[in-house]
Amino acid sequence: MKKTGKQAREYTPAMRRKLRKAIYEFHVRAFGQEMARVNYLPLAARRRYLGEMVDHANRKGVKSDKPALGVTP
Amino acid sequence: MPLSYAELEQFYEGLVTRARAGGITCAIASGMACAAFGVSEATKDCDLLCTPDSASELLDLLGKATLGGQLPQYRGNLSAPLDGRWFRGGWTSHFVWAGGDSGAYLDIFGVAPRSSSPWETEIQGFYASPHTVAEMKRTTRDKDWPFVTALGARMIEMGDERGWLHIYDENLLRTFGEATKQGTDFFKRRPVLELAANNDPKLRPALRAEIEFWHELDRARLSIYEKAVRRYMVEVRKSRLPPGAGLSVQHALRVRCAEKYLPMNPLRDYGIARMISEAREAVAQIIHPAAMAWLPEVREHFRLVAA
Repeated sequence: MKKTGKQAREYTPAMRRKLRKAIYEFHVRAFGQEMARVNYLPLAARRRYLGEMVDHANRKGVKSDKPALGVTP
Repeated sequence: MPLSYAELEQFYEGLVTRARAGGITCAIASGMACAAFGVSEATKDCDLLCTPDSASELLDLLGKATLGGQLPQYRGNLSAPLDGRWFRGGWTSHFVWAGGDSGAYLDIFGVAPRSSSPWETEIQGFYASPHTVAEMKRTTRDKDWPFVTALGARMIEMGDERGWLHIYDENLLRTFGEATKQGTDFFKRRPVLELAANNDPKLRPALRAEIEFWHELDRARLSIYEKAVRRYMVEVRKSRLPPGAGLSVQHALRVRCAEKYLPMNPLRDYGIARMISEAREAVAQIIHPAAMAWLPEVREHFRLVAA
């Protein structure tokens, strides 16, 4: 087992609820209501949603390629 | 007909599976990783981390990896060769599977930018860990920062306290003080957490300063690579490849040009301490002097590329 520096802390159930609520509110602030909802979907549904969004954008001519700089930002 | 998102996802995951079966250590680290960790990012590009020692094996694998009947090609004149010597120094190789209205784009690199620990020590499924991806997202692009916080939040939800190192949202950070009653060794790694723990009004300016510092560090790093790649880019551009040249021919050309003109580790040559010092000076021009005291120690984030 390699060391990763990972630390775990036990929160009280009340603190856990508070954290969960604060995190969801952050998702809404940062990404908007709809994407916050998508972020909390099960993985398969989330990927399906993203796939439909990206494929639709491509059909409408949106390009998603990034410049090839030789280094990753 | 362009390839769908689902087809590309399957292709990249299949590539990782085949690579690992061949003993290559690699992991997806892009928007696809974010999506897997509950932070939706709409991208069809794939960033792939590969250990520098496995670079040539991965190149062999790519040479046979068809997608929609196409084989990959190097993309652009700036793309470094997929070779461990340049991978160790932080360079990236760009590939494209051309075809249809939009191709498939794959960027491969050996050292995760800004990563404070080796990415290969904590891979999660097809992906690099949220910790690695969050460190990689501390870029100069404003759009990346909500993803950093969201990945950190996901880590906290999963019981990984290092998530607090990635929270850059003031409101969310203020819950840190309530959640963390005792002192933590994270204060040393990220001093603004002490302000958060004490619900200190200085948190907001200190947080802005911290983000600006990472912006300046990324600007400085990219500028070093941009300068270092110029002669190589000119040589690659001047070289005339026969039409339809295969990946191995393209690769041999890039290696020849790189051996002459592409420094293997421009960041180390420039000096990590010098780069950090210049980034601090740049931040000092735009933030309140008092906020400088709360900037993090960032040398560990460049230790791996300078090794």
